[in-house]
Amino acid sequence: MAERKVVLEGKELTKDFKGLRANENVSFKLFESEILGLIGPNGAGKTTLVNMISGALSITSGDVIYNGRSIKGLKPYQIGRLGLIRTYQIVKPFPGMSVLENISVGAMFGSKDKVYNSKESKEKAEEIAVFVGLSDLKNQRADQLNIASKKRLEIAKALAARPKVVLFDEVMAGLNPKEIDSAVHLIKKIRDTGISIIVIEHVMRAIKAISDRIFVLHHGVKIAEGEPDDVLNDEEVIKAYLGKRYKQLVS
Amino acid sequence: MLTQILINGILKGGLYALMAMGMSLIWGVMNIINIAHGSFIMLGAYTTYWFFTLYGMDPFVSVLLSMALIFFLGFFIQKYIINFVIGASLFITLLLAFGIEILINNLALLFWTADVRSVQVTYGGANIEILGAVIPTVRLFAFLLAIAVSVILFIIMNKTWLGRAIRSTAQDLEAARLNGVNVGKIYSITFGIGTAVAAAAGTLWAVIFPISPTMGGHLTLKSFVVTIIGGLGTMMGPLVGGLSLGIVESLGTNWFGSTFENLISFTILVLVLIFKPNGILGKKE
Amino acid sequence: MKGTLIGFALIIIIGVLVPFTAGNFAIRLATDIVIFAILASSWNIIGGYTGYASFGNIVFFGVGAYATAVLMSKAGLGFYPALILSGLIAGLYGFAIGFPILRLKGHYFAIATLGLAEATKALVQNLGLTEGNSGMYLPMPEMGIDASYMFFYFNALGILLILLVIMYFILNTKLGYGFVAIREDEDAADSIGINTTIFKSISFGLSGLFTGMAGSVYAYQQGFIKPEPVFIVTKTVKMIVMAVFGGVGSLFGPVIGAVSIELIANYLSEHFLVIHTIFFGTIIILAVIFAPKGIMDIITARKKIGLSYFLENIRKNRV
Repeated sequence: MAERKVVLEGKELTKDFKGLRANENVSFKLFESEILGLIGPNGAGKTTLVNMISGALSITSGDVIYNGRSIKGLKPYQIGRLGLIRTYQIVKPFPGMSVLENISVGAMFGSKDKVYNSKESKEKAEEIAVFVGLSDLKNQRADQLNIASKKRLEIAKALAARPKVVLFDEVMAGLNPKEIDSAVHLIKKIRDTGISIIVIEHVMRAIKAISDRIFVLHHGVKIAEGEPDDVLNDEEVIKAYLGKRYKQLVS
Repeated sequence: MLTQILINGILKGGLYALMAMGMSLIWGVMNIINIAHGSFIMLGAYTTYWFFTLYGMDPFVSVLLSMALIFFLGFFIQKYIINFVIGASLFITLLLAFGIEILINNLALLFWTADVRSVQVTYGGANIEILGAVIPTVRLFAFLLAIAVSVILFIIMNKTWLGRAIRSTAQDLEAARLNGVNVGKIYSITFGIGTAVAAAAGTLWAVIFPISPTMGGHLTLKSFVVTIIGGLGTMMGPLVGGLSLGIVESLGTNWFGSTFENLISFTILVLVLIFKPNGILGKKE
Repeated sequence: MKGTLIGFALIIIIGVLVPFTAGNFAIRLATDIVIFAILASSWNIIGGYTGYASFGNIVFFGVGAYATAVLMSKAGLGFYPALILSGLIAGLYGFAIGFPILRLKGHYFAIATLGLAEATKALVQNLGLTEGNSGMYLPMPEMGIDASYMFFYFNALGILLILLVIMYFILNTKLGYGFVAIREDEDAADSIGINTTIFKSISFGLSGLFTGMAGSVYAYQQGFIKPEPVFIVTKTVKMIVMAVFGGVGSLFGPVIGAVSIELIANYLSEHFLVIHTIFFGTIIILAVIFAPKGIMDIITARKKIGLSYFLENIRKNRV
């Protein structure tokens, strides 16, 4: 079996806030063109981990290796320009701009591997609007969209930035089952273009459908990593979600 | 000599602290920077002047009346003007405050002319000696009154139902509402208290310095500096900030000359904002 | 695009016609208006488009004025070299000081800029080079009185047009999109690869550059400047009011705002000498409460403007 390339690796990542340890020695590997699901109960430290990777938070100890080089200490915009893009749990479109303008911003900036001028960016934005299914709404103001379209826009903006790796932070939250299926389909389409993806999710239905592998955080520590079936049936994982009561129920 | 400079600084600092307290309260609770703050100080100064000139009332007695008058003025201004833009963006509220400042200052100019006036109490020339430093008695009284008002404000904010309501509104608007606090009324009361305290500072200013309708702008800026240095969110902030600024200014003008007073205070402001924007005591946002 | 061309055409046509159809007094008024239009439009770059509401932009006006005074009367430079250098000095001042100051947000940024303006004024008041509080003289322009009125007017108009044209082009490029992205959501802008620190400083520097040039023209026109009038904070308020009144974040809004407010203020001071400032304060209050989005919003709004528009504005902003 050919050795799969590791595009992103977290090494013993630890984050301390004053008196609170949010993440402890978290290590993980993201392989090329895979979707890695990141799950864990509320407060497990998932978003903190993403913030450390994307440079929004400083790393107390440990390292993040992206395409073979350490990106620890880089500023968020520098990491973005390297092609590592993240989305936000509470979606952050540029509210006063139209859908197309939002996506254009992604195309104008983003990875420095390929630079578009403003005219090319707008053309690229049109293409991406089609790819994610927002063509009909392209001239709508971003703050007037419904939640499902806003999430789609967040994905489109990230795509326009020509990422090698995308971190989707709870991109399914607030969607109904049909919308979730659409989003799953879209994200798989993105993976198939060669982009590597980490998906943070609470929605179990989505995680099962979308992930090639899953890793689980609980109280800031990784408690499982592997194939979805193995991980989701792991006793520790189930206990983490359901709490001690599960053990009592079972015994 | 050094003692004299330090004591001068402390006395001035107490006055600065009182000036800033009203602004800090309004800012901390309502997230409004009252650009018209200096105008209320000016109004307090003028009410004191008129009570003194027309009725012969001693400023240290009429201060309560001044505070009450200005409290109601502030209350109404908040309820019927400022309330309309509280939810709007930052510079909209700042612009409104500027508009109010222009209005008040120019009304004052219209009614009272630009003539500089002063309150000359009979004991104004008396001095008192403390630790080898010579201090005009009025300044000492003013300092003591500033401390007294601060203490009263502290008691109100921490020991009364009203204070609790105000503080909870500052911390969490929705939670306060759910607890039955009439947020609109609290805002108006808070603004009233803030302007009343400013008026008290104006009273004290009037017994020490000459007053004019345009005295406010400079004092608003000074109050900013004090509020920022001391830090938002605590009652002690303006006290610490005021005393610090008073002492530093006193030392600075002694070494460099009085024309440097503004340069010193505003450079400090900018430096504090850049390096320690939460001030000496301020809580992290 | 079409609207923009109409806007430019109007400005050029009216701008060129005014001095030829009116006396010197009107030209002087028009010059003041154009200078305010430059100030408001420059403020719009950092305040409107980039979303950092500076309350101290007057600092660049003062720096530009004093730079020109020093360069012309002490270094013997001609007006045009002094104008350009003054603009550059003011622009660089903004760019450099932008790095520490633009790390602050909202209220803190506003106050820091106020402090900057006051501190710079205090510096000028204490510096020998700028003659402290005594004021500085500038050389007289070598031309007749009538010619000088035209001279200052057209220089100011030229600067305004250059500013607007440059802004128009910037807004369609990455720089402009970057500014707006920063205003709309700075975190998202960071994540997408925008170096927000540099962009903000460029915005502040551009704002300072043109404000400084306005100060330069003002100084040469006045012939004598002192610290207090060129650093006066109420002028910053005026420029913001003009930008807001006209429409923040639109290209011509601030220009419309400057024209309207100055004309109103001038009319009031002529007819109600004593209380015109009171009216002015009242107008600010009413405008802010009822029409916070400015005139441009009324002009470009698709829906009908009726009483409900103004009531809606109130309702939206109440507690």
